[in-house]
Amino acid sequence: MAAAQPRPSALGGKRSRAAEAGAMEAAGGEERFLLAQRLKAAVHYTVGCLCEEVAEERDVQFSKQTIAAITEITFRQCETFAKDLEVFARHAKRSTVTIEDVKLLARRSSSLLRYITEKSEELALSNMEQKEKKKKSNAVKERRTGEHEAAVTESEDFNMA
Amino acid sequence: QRKPSEPKIPSSLIKSVFKHYAKMPVASKSFKIVEKCTEKYFKQLCNDLAAFASHAGRKTVEVSDVEVLMRRQRLVTDEMPLHVLIEHHLPLEYRKLLIPVVVSGNKVIPEIKCSS
Repeated sequence: MAAAQPRPSALGGKRSRAAEAGAMEAAGGEERFLLAQRLKAAVHYTVGCLCEEVAEERDVQFSKQTIAAITEITFRQCETFAKDLEVFARHAKRSTVTIEDVKLLARRSSSLLRYITEKSEELALSNMEQKEKKKKSNAVKERRTGEHEAAVTESEDFNMA
Repeated sequence: QRKPSEPKIPSSLIKSVFKHYAKMPVASKSFKIVEKCTEKYFKQLCNDLAAFASHAGRKTVEVSDVEVLMRRQRLVTDEMPLHVLIEHHLPLEYRKLLIPVVVSGNKVIPEIKCSS
């Protein structure tokens, strides 16, 4: 549970970042600053959770300053990541960043690349499974509804009553 | 009989370039290390360029791949575009090939491909 906890918040942070990017353009300097502050707070919380995990694993402690520093590094790193991903996507004549761009970003470190490739394959597999499940469930539903309809026509009076 | 060696940049050229930028005496041992680093650099460069080209769905490495690579190396940034780097570091005859220039007779060299 502890392992799963920070991740949704991290995802939420990213998602809200994408959503807020549009708002940022419209917003003035003041609001922009507030948004950045909010994002940083979200990153700080997630970094705290992750650090806690590592602290338990390795039996070490992180000072508050360390966590804050990691937050700052992560935040700035995200800026460069975003720029690089944008460049990669544009290079492939796309306007949407895909998993291929992310893989290209991770090319510098071979172990990281391996890890990310594995993860992407896992994701693709789970996506496929979900789609198949959906298809199956849809098929089952259709069959059921078909049966139901047949049943309904038979027991229509019963249902009506 | 000498073994056919791998193609590489002549060590004298590497030496002179390195000397030019170092601006201080360099021990001859360190040149060997610089040479090795250059070899490794080119290996990495080729891998990266291949990855960028295939990323864009091409089999040929183009100028845009090199630009993306240099952006990744933080050589090209928003403040320092590729053209400025070319102007700073390449001799005139190479600069002519890379940056379109208008010459007499209403000609642009090299010819710009119209993309549309």
